[in-house]
Amino acid sequence: MLSLSRAVVSGVVRSPAAVSQAGVTAITRFNSTAQTAPKKTTFGPLADEDRIFTNLYGRHDWRLNGALKRGDWYKTKEILLNGVDWILNEIKVSGLRGRGGAGFPTGMKWSFMNKPSDGRPKYLVVNADEGEPGTCKDREIMRHDPHKLVEGCLIAGKAMGARAAYIYIRGEFYNESSNLQVAINEAYAAGLIGKNSCGSGYDFDVFVMRGAGAYICGEETALIESLEGKQGKPRLKPPFPADVGAFGCPTTVANVETVSVAPTICRRGGSWFLGFGRERNSGTKLFNISGHVNTPCTVEEEMSIPLKELIERHAGGVRGGWDNLLAVIPGGSSTPLIPKSVCEDVLMDFDGLVQAQTGLGTAALIVMDKSTDIIRAIARLIEFYKHESCGQCTPCREGVDWMNDMMWRFVRGDARQAEIDMIWEISKQIEGHTICALGDGAAWPVQGLIRHFRPVMENRISEYQQQARA
Amino acid sequence: MAEYLNVVRRALGQIGGHGGLKGLLVQFFRANDVKTGALIGVDKYGNKYFEDNKHYFFGRHRWVLYTTEMNGKNTMWEVDGSMVPAEWHRWLHCMTDDPPTTHPPEPKKFLAEVHQFNVSGSAQQYVPYSTTRKKVHEWVPPKAEAQ
Amino acid sequence: MSTKVKQPSLFHWWLKLRSPLFWSRRPNSERVMLRLPTVGRALAGAAKSSLAPSNTVRTSVQAASNMVEVFVDGKPVEVEPGTTVLQACEKVGVQIPRFCYHERLSVAGNCRMCLVEIEKAPKPVAACAMPVMKGWNILTNSEKTRKAREGVMEFLLANHPLDCPICDQGGECDLQDQSMQFGSDRSRFTERKRAVEDKNIGPLIKTIMTRCIQCTRCVRFASEIAGVEDLGTTGRGNNLQIGTYVEKMFMSELSGNVIDVCPVGALTSKPYAFTARPWETRKTESIDVMDAVGSNIIVSTRGGEVMRVMPRLNEDVNEEWISDKTRFSYDGLKRQRLTQPMVKDGSGQLTATTWEDALTRVAGALQSVQGSEVAAIAGGLADAEALVSLKDLLNRLDSENLCTEEVFPMEGAGTDLRSNYLLNSRIAGIEDCDLLLLIGTNPRYEAPMFNARVRKSWLHNELQVAMVGQSVDLSYTYDHLGEETSVLKELADGTHPFCQVLSAAKRPVVVVGSSALQREDGAAILGAVSTIAQNARTSSGVEEGWKVLNVLHRVASQVAALDLGYKAGVDAIRKNPPKVLFLLGADAGCITRADLPKDSLIIYQGHHGDVGATMADIILPGAAYTEKNATYVNTEGRSQHTRVAVTAPGMAREDWKIIRAVSDLAGVALPYDTVDEVRARLEEVSPNLVRYDDIQEANYFKQANELAQAVNQDLIASPLVPPQLTVKDFYMTDSISRASQTMAKCVKAVTEGAAAVDEPSIC
Repeated sequence: MLSLSRAVVSGVVRSPAAVSQAGVTAITRFNSTAQTAPKKTTFGPLADEDRIFTNLYGRHDWRLNGALKRGDWYKTKEILLNGVDWILNEIKVSGLRGRGGAGFPTGMKWSFMNKPSDGRPKYLVVNADEGEPGTCKDREIMRHDPHKLVEGCLIAGKAMGARAAYIYIRGEFYNESSNLQVAINEAYAAGLIGKNSCGSGYDFDVFVMRGAGAYICGEETALIESLEGKQGKPRLKPPFPADVGAFGCPTTVANVETVSVAPTICRRGGSWFLGFGRERNSGTKLFNISGHVNTPCTVEEEMSIPLKELIERHAGGVRGGWDNLLAVIPGGSSTPLIPKSVCEDVLMDFDGLVQAQTGLGTAALIVMDKSTDIIRAIARLIEFYKHESCGQCTPCREGVDWMNDMMWRFVRGDARQAEIDMIWEISKQIEGHTICALGDGAAWPVQGLIRHFRPVMENRISEYQQQARA
Repeated sequence: MAEYLNVVRRALGQIGGHGGLKGLLVQFFRANDVKTGALIGVDKYGNKYFEDNKHYFFGRHRWVLYTTEMNGKNTMWEVDGSMVPAEWHRWLHCMTDDPPTTHPPEPKKFLAEVHQFNVSGSAQQYVPYSTTRKKVHEWVPPKAEAQ
Repeated sequence: MSTKVKQPSLFHWWLKLRSPLFWSRRPNSERVMLRLPTVGRALAGAAKSSLAPSNTVRTSVQAASNMVEVFVDGKPVEVEPGTTVLQACEKVGVQIPRFCYHERLSVAGNCRMCLVEIEKAPKPVAACAMPVMKGWNILTNSEKTRKAREGVMEFLLANHPLDCPICDQGGECDLQDQSMQFGSDRSRFTERKRAVEDKNIGPLIKTIMTRCIQCTRCVRFASEIAGVEDLGTTGRGNNLQIGTYVEKMFMSELSGNVIDVCPVGALTSKPYAFTARPWETRKTESIDVMDAVGSNIIVSTRGGEVMRVMPRLNEDVNEEWISDKTRFSYDGLKRQRLTQPMVKDGSGQLTATTWEDALTRVAGALQSVQGSEVAAIAGGLADAEALVSLKDLLNRLDSENLCTEEVFPMEGAGTDLRSNYLLNSRIAGIEDCDLLLLIGTNPRYEAPMFNARVRKSWLHNELQVAMVGQSVDLSYTYDHLGEETSVLKELADGTHPFCQVLSAAKRPVVVVGSSALQREDGAAILGAVSTIAQNARTSSGVEEGWKVLNVLHRVASQVAALDLGYKAGVDAIRKNPPKVLFLLGADAGCITRADLPKDSLIIYQGHHGDVGATMADIILPGAAYTEKNATYVNTEGRSQHTRVAVTAPGMAREDWKIIRAVSDLAGVALPYDTVDEVRARLEEVSPNLVRYDDIQEANYFKQANELAQAVNQDLIASPLVPPQLTVKDFYMTDSISRASQTMAKCVKAVTEGAAAVDEPSIC
């Protein structure tokens, strides 16, 4: 998922201080109420009764009846009638941070919408354009638990006073969008959304909009542009979408997972959600584990679970044993990789991974064992970014293409040692200089590679030179 | 005495050599000079070529009497050095001592059949033209329709 | 009658939101609130104090002035809230390098050249798009800023061809200049360069798309200023290209401006290609005469030849744009020129002669007839100096028969009241009005710069436009009230439904096209329009200085001619045919040989062999607008003057000098020998003519309206159809543009497609 709101992402990786500053407002709140709570030191595994997504694997009915059995739409009316402030407060108390990659505190983001209206309608836009390589959490929600999303839209919409929700779904997700549409139709038919949703007197519509498969449309402003029927190219901020968003109206773009957990948080209380994970990284999270593991899977786990435990417990361990591990990309393709040494004891949460000079991103782990040609793997990622760059701003358009050309030379070893420093510099010239976060996302994998696998690259170059001499 | 006789003899020789007093005056006014010498040849246009090595020093010992009409132009009084055709030009300018009467020139493609004399100052003269683009193209008034 | 309801598209709305104009007008409090999250993140602690409401901490003076204090490299500067970083820097004289930013276009922020460091901010911001916040310290030359610039410059040059020696932009290229100033002195780029196919977008603009740096200035110009959505981007990432989507011509009357807007050599002028370098041309500031707007231009000359015409900044007239006819018709100045005096010989054939001969004949002809048998017609390109000389000459010969080709109703107030025939609201005044009613005009082609101003106001100021007359594409939406004259009558009576809109307007403006007044019922139309304007003025309650009634002229000479007392229209001549007719650049063909007695003599003075010269007996070659120092008054009544850029070709002379010479030989010598003395005479007749770049107020609408009521003329039922309906009518309207091959190519291209005039490109 690339709902990387630009400023925030860079904040996560580049200046943790800035993020903590932003987070403090939310944190101080619950600190005052839960002073006596003993500090948790071990995280995970998540108990079955604490799972939010109880039909993640599609073993049960995903339609309305099944959803009702699993507790969806339970007392939604009461939640709505509790009012905007109550919902916002629950979300703030829960410490929920955006699940799309940037990790901006959700409660704060939603409360930006609660300004006095100037006559323009407000919109909730749900970012279901899950395109980040390695990430496959939103599609599981949409095809197996679509009612969670629809209900989440209603509650999030209520919290921000939105007139309607637009779910921008990735074009390739055909089955997911049809399941979602069926769920929406069921909800309309049952009076859960639409005019007088759930009998609460709140009018709320949900629309599904299918994208055309561009990765960049996962960036929130590009998504809005695409939603408006234009080329999916990120807009300049400011003005932020909360001020001028879809169709010129105040808009909040939220990730599918963020929206889908909101009803459960409201039902079970923010403090329940806060009970998981470390401070400032609370809650449960869907982790996608792919790559060289024995059983790749998507699993809901507690935040701050150690990476090693996550892989060992849910993914059946690394192929060929833990010692065969080479590196892990912990948060979707745009986060820098971490080598085995770091993987040993890193905790899977926002702050833990930032400390390890990477990021939680979408919590999509790509595990690579020692059979991997790590340079080639990163080069392939850069090729992906080159292909998906919108071409609007210079550093990304020219720089990513340049990096791509260089990376493929590094794969062969057809380069000079000094060019490793040069590509590092180029990646630094891209990072932070672009309109959206795609440039950063393209720069980080290269930086991660050079940071941890520079000797590999150097060896490759000298091997090539030896061969050339021979 | 003998000197005076010599002068008279030469004067008479000149008069005789030019066909009488009229001929002498014509010659004098046409060429500003009166000379007698051996007629070496006449070209096809009627120019007469003379030589006298005895009485004249080198450079003045060969001369031409121009024809009175050449290429349809009256050249009685308008004579021009370019009336001499190429083969006689060689001899006249002492490039060779063999006149074309005894040594006819080898026929060459570039030799003109009919000698053209200089057209400078006439309508046929060569005028160089500019090869640069004209900066302003003036309006050409339409032809007046016949009334 | 059909009524279109104006529906500004979301795109336009979005444009407004992105434009600096919009932001600068928003109240401060709102902006601060909106940007709260940014500040919280970006400026952590530093912004906390600055976020405090201004009434608590700040001194009352600052709070009252509502200005934001920021620092540029430590230097404090007070700016309006909503000012961008770039504008704030410009205020203290620091130029931020930029490519995509253009002050008249919306902000794209995609070149990233203008990145600057803000003290305590984690990453550099795009100066062109970021509004300043209180207390920011903008570091325009810090290590980080320079690194960012160098990086962007390196990326831009990576795929830019190094063909400056053969590039027409060389010497005036933003990329060249800025890479000299901010770029690195060597390249690290060893990969393959990208190449892009060139597009054929018409006979005016040459594209070398490999040079494009994707700043999208041209795209924004086309969609915002020109109002045509022809240009756009296709492809993604490194394959992003500027183009017209499908092979077609960039069809706009303002298309040439993208050449100026393009910061590199991707879009250059086709007629100018490979002809001159900017440093070898001499630039002369002048005025355009292709329409009545009087756009300010710069004439670039080299070796006595006009190489190109470029716009000159004048906020009140043309801002920094000019129309294609202004820009590209200069090659007409080199063709079909009258370079020597001509007279008709015995066979009726015009043959070249000497000035002495021609002037003597003219003087003789003038002397041989009665004063009343001499008449003169002034054409659309005549300058005020020539007009006043000609008038003085004929007056001294006892003739009052001086007319202009353009008709203006002489009934009622006629041309006696100056406010009757001017664009009183001024071109810039359109930006202040809220309702514009166009009558019988197509400003898009009659006065493109006026239309661009209307579009600007429509886009940014919610200007509502309505039109009576044939429905044409004006590049903005308008209420079409119908094309019948009966609509005017209803509007004047107040029975038309639109009258309610009209009366609700706060600052209404009514513009009638001069073409509508060419009709036989011109006076009735003017009367009706005058009533509509007067009613609108009364109902709006606007202050006395606001002017409602406007006339939009089409030719450059008309206002000066009317100011000098020329009669509008040639009716008088047609009714009372003269023995000697003097045509001063009259090429519209209002009078033909057939209108005159057989033995009458026609003298033509002008610079082109066009309609007038063909029927003349004597031709006196005059100078074109680039070749004389001459005064022109535009449709607003603004007098401006051209300057000599090149000498007149051949024996052609400045027009007033020719008339002065004629007067001498005719025994009625005019009392001026220098251009200053002519202008002194102009000042005697009408002082406004020499008050350059100044507009003399004229405000006699009420009186004019009263006089118009007295006109006893009925409206004719035929619909109001302006003569220039589509772009193909636009290019060739006067003797200069009719002689221009470029303009002919444009006509061919718009009728047969751009491919019809495609020339094999040299490069």
